[in-house]
Amino acid sequence: MKNAKESNGKSIKWGLVASYIFLFLLVLAYLGPLLMLVNTALKTMPEFMKNATGITTSFNFSNFADAWEKANFPQYIWNSIIYTFTATFIYVITAVFVAFPISRKYVKFSTPLLTLFVIALFLPPALIPQFRLILGLGLYNNPIGYIMLFLVNPIGIIILVNYIKTLPLELDEAAALEGCGYLRFVWSIVLPLIRPAVATVVVLHAIGIWNEIIAPTIYLTNKDYYPITRGLIVFQGVYGSNWPTLAAAVLMLTFPMLVLFLVLQRQIVSGLTAGAVKG
Amino acid sequence: MNYHFGRGKSRLTPYLLLLPGIAFYFIISLGPSLATSIFSLTDTTGLKGATINWIGLDNYKEFLFMGQASKDNFDALGRTLIFSVFVTTIQFLFGLVTAVILNNPKIRARNFFRTLFFMPVILGAVIQGLIWSLFLFPLGGPMAKLFEFFGLRSEFLGGSPTEAFIWVIIIQIWANMGITMMIFLSGLQTIPSEMYEAAEMDGANNWQVFKNVTWPLLTPSVNTNLLLNIIGSLQAWQLFLVLIGYRNGTQVLGYLIYAVGFGQTSGSVTSSFRQGYAAAASMVLFVLVLVIGLSVQTFLRRREERIMG
Amino acid sequence: MFKKIYKVITILMVFAIFLAACAPKETAPSTSDGSSSEPVAAEKVTLRVLVHQNPPMVEFMEAFNKSFSDKYPNVTIDMSVVNANDLSTVTQTRLTANDIDVIDIFGFANGAQPYMKLVDKPNWQQLIEAGLLMDISDQAFVKNYDQPTIDDAGSFNGKVYAVNLGRVSYSGIYYNKDLFAANNVTVPTTWDELVTACETFTAAGTPCMTAGGKDGWPIFVGAYGLTGAIYPDQAALVEGLWTGTIKWNDAKALDMWEKMKVYAQNMMEPGASGVAGDAAPGRFASGAVAMFPGGTWYASAIEAAEPAFDWGYIPFPGSDNADDNKYLFGKYDQGWAIAANTPNKEVALNYLAEFSTPENYQAFANAVGFIPTQPSATLDTKIGAEVAPYLENFRVGYEQYWIAPKGSGQFANPWASYFKPFGTYDDAKELADKVQADLQSGLDAVK
Repeated sequence: MKNAKESNGKSIKWGLVASYIFLFLLVLAYLGPLLMLVNTALKTMPEFMKNATGITTSFNFSNFADAWEKANFPQYIWNSIIYTFTATFIYVITAVFVAFPISRKYVKFSTPLLTLFVIALFLPPALIPQFRLILGLGLYNNPIGYIMLFLVNPIGIIILVNYIKTLPLELDEAAALEGCGYLRFVWSIVLPLIRPAVATVVVLHAIGIWNEIIAPTIYLTNKDYYPITRGLIVFQGVYGSNWPTLAAAVLMLTFPMLVLFLVLQRQIVSGLTAGAVKG
Repeated sequence: MNYHFGRGKSRLTPYLLLLPGIAFYFIISLGPSLATSIFSLTDTTGLKGATINWIGLDNYKEFLFMGQASKDNFDALGRTLIFSVFVTTIQFLFGLVTAVILNNPKIRARNFFRTLFFMPVILGAVIQGLIWSLFLFPLGGPMAKLFEFFGLRSEFLGGSPTEAFIWVIIIQIWANMGITMMIFLSGLQTIPSEMYEAAEMDGANNWQVFKNVTWPLLTPSVNTNLLLNIIGSLQAWQLFLVLIGYRNGTQVLGYLIYAVGFGQTSGSVTSSFRQGYAAAASMVLFVLVLVIGLSVQTFLRRREERIMG
Repeated sequence: MFKKIYKVITILMVFAIFLAACAPKETAPSTSDGSSSEPVAAEKVTLRVLVHQNPPMVEFMEAFNKSFSDKYPNVTIDMSVVNANDLSTVTQTRLTANDIDVIDIFGFANGAQPYMKLVDKPNWQQLIEAGLLMDISDQAFVKNYDQPTIDDAGSFNGKVYAVNLGRVSYSGIYYNKDLFAANNVTVPTTWDELVTACETFTAAGTPCMTAGGKDGWPIFVGAYGLTGAIYPDQAALVEGLWTGTIKWNDAKALDMWEKMKVYAQNMMEPGASGVAGDAAPGRFASGAVAMFPGGTWYASAIEAAEPAFDWGYIPFPGSDNADDNKYLFGKYDQGWAIAANTPNKEVALNYLAEFSTPENYQAFANAVGFIPTQPSATLDTKIGAEVAPYLENFRVGYEQYWIAPKGSGQFANPWASYFKPFGTYDDAKELADKVQADLQSGLDAVK
């Protein structure tokens, strides 16, 4: 693929140099805090207190063992994965079946429904009534109740509706002529065609669940159900003074998340580039 | 529009399949939000068994008009807006520039950069907060050393509220720039390369290519990003919680609502639960977000119609 | 009506799960762990206990829970530990959800006084009025605690709802005896001596004081002595502020603000705002600073950090007159209450009875370092010996009485942390006027 910057000689070079300088500064901002984290994780507490930034001399790996012993991090990560995955999956499937007929006006009141979703975009999280709702349903301190909180996300619906509008209407007619049913049409023809939009929605929605810190404080009291965010906050409350142990814990959590992201990144990017065909 | 997939009973299929999504929406989102507006007219504490009194507009009167506290509330409101403006614009610009650079195939290790810049998103607010508290550790942390080098000293997140607030803005941008960049990258990849080739044939320079090809064709991503950033930053407060706690001169509306509703305002262990009052505050936030969000959306839609035809 | 809605919701949930289950085999197994938390057999009981984070106390409770379970094998104890800041939120949600049996509750304070207008009830009173706390007036174990404690920290309208486990003082200073000796500094008994001591240390390159500023309040908690030296009767102070006979910007208060400025800017080490609340004892014990203004509850952490380290504890000398500096200000700390709707009433009562036996309570007081609230218990620890001379001058602190009038601004408090570098103010008079204006605005609003 050719790109914009392949023009005449001089401007390419300066453009590239400026680009690299910009990237280099950003990398400093992103790597700096991380390196500090690694360095701290390898220190002993007195060493840290004496000189916070000095390069570690003790290579105190016992921080990792400490952090590992003191909290049930694998369980927390696993919980986070389950919550994120289940809720995102259910949400995206239901969202496609909401967005498609609204976008095509195949159901009555399509326009007012869409307006409702636009308004919902601006609604502040209704923490208090939601809490009572979950209590009333008997789903407090229950993973199902927790997942239920994340089955709604208006921005996703809007993104999907807009994207589906770009699909030609003839597609529907042709499919119907071929005798394809509604469910099968949406599932096996529309869904693959709107993959880029779905990928974006999946990423946005999953990030929100993965990063949630308030809901687990309010809804989950059993530590077996804690997602990683809550687990870390509790860990920080207990060992907050001990920066080296805390840093070790954070590092240990960073690795699996990075791996997870690297695995998923290919899906995301390939999903996104699939949209290039459409233009 | 004409429905092509059968009549009679099978006409009901789209309705049936639509039902779960709509039901979730009504039960989990719209219902509770309506309930919030009702709670805002009561003195509910959120405790089971407590009596609830209908107090009309008292919560709103207190929030908007009662003494210095209401002025403090307006300060929080103003701060919410400032936070949103800075976060939105800076994050938008950085995301755009980074995406354009990383879309250039001549840049090496693009995958590495992309992963690095997106990483904070994956780590989440708690880890972001921990990493930065450590980086900004005032007793000889890296940033303190850097400041020292220039003969300055600072308490960073524990110092003057304005400074702490600026740091939260920086960290918020640091944390979420990756999302903006990713959305722009996916938008950039939908621009057909023929468009660039045509522009080159006309002898356009880099800036002209960007202005006349990239920018207009990027409109959908621009809209998505702007809307996401504005709404997100107006309602964001997790980093305030993780980095500085509930402190005078740094509160934003979202945090204020949580702190009041769940008894965390003063750090005092006996502060009362005031969910009715908190509900009134959330209605104010809702109106604010709605007005700003709708006007921005209208503006963006007009712009899109003008550009895309 | 509601039943109908619940039915619809249930059907929808079933439908959603069905939908998810029929989709490609990726459904996660989370739907099955929902019921696992419920007790299996009838006689087995899981007692749910909530405590706030305080390392020596949590350690003691873990040992106590184990011995309790050994004695009553059918009882499993599920103890949750939350940050002190989250305690009231979690208490609120878990009591409302009836998901807790025994809760850790701070001594009842901030009750509305007749001269206060339009104030909100403190959260413990809201809990009692909502019927969420059990009336334990008739329980035998309550009698193990002294009467003032029961009356002041656990009763409401003549009924007892909580037993309080100890008083703490927060207006004292820990000092490093070795550093004092090495620099030829005597233990300060007046404000001037304290200033001189700090100047000596600073000149010698040792920061004078540290505090856990990351948590906010520890920065100003040490300076309670400054308020206390000027207003020894803190209940009267609160009444004076409400009725207008005392103002935060009158001449007397201005003296306090001037001293607070010195405290924040010259005594507290730069960077203290980055020290976490529970890291401060360790920093003090490391010998990096000469003094550490803070509560008696830090003593065990100091000892744990550096057992051989020699320290002392004195009331904060906020006044120029040594006689005014003999008071310790403090509050009632942790206590126990039982959820009114607990399904495990007998076990919960038994748990508290067992805890309240003189032997167990004594062990608890030793572990945590509270000033005991059982008359038979003694504080055998080092901090006990340090505070013993001042115990008869123990006073309940201002913040335990204070309720801000609605509408008052956020600065209506006597906190040293408003000064630079922790806050924005640099001028004592300017801050004093702001604090009084913020308070006055509320007083005017509720008139």
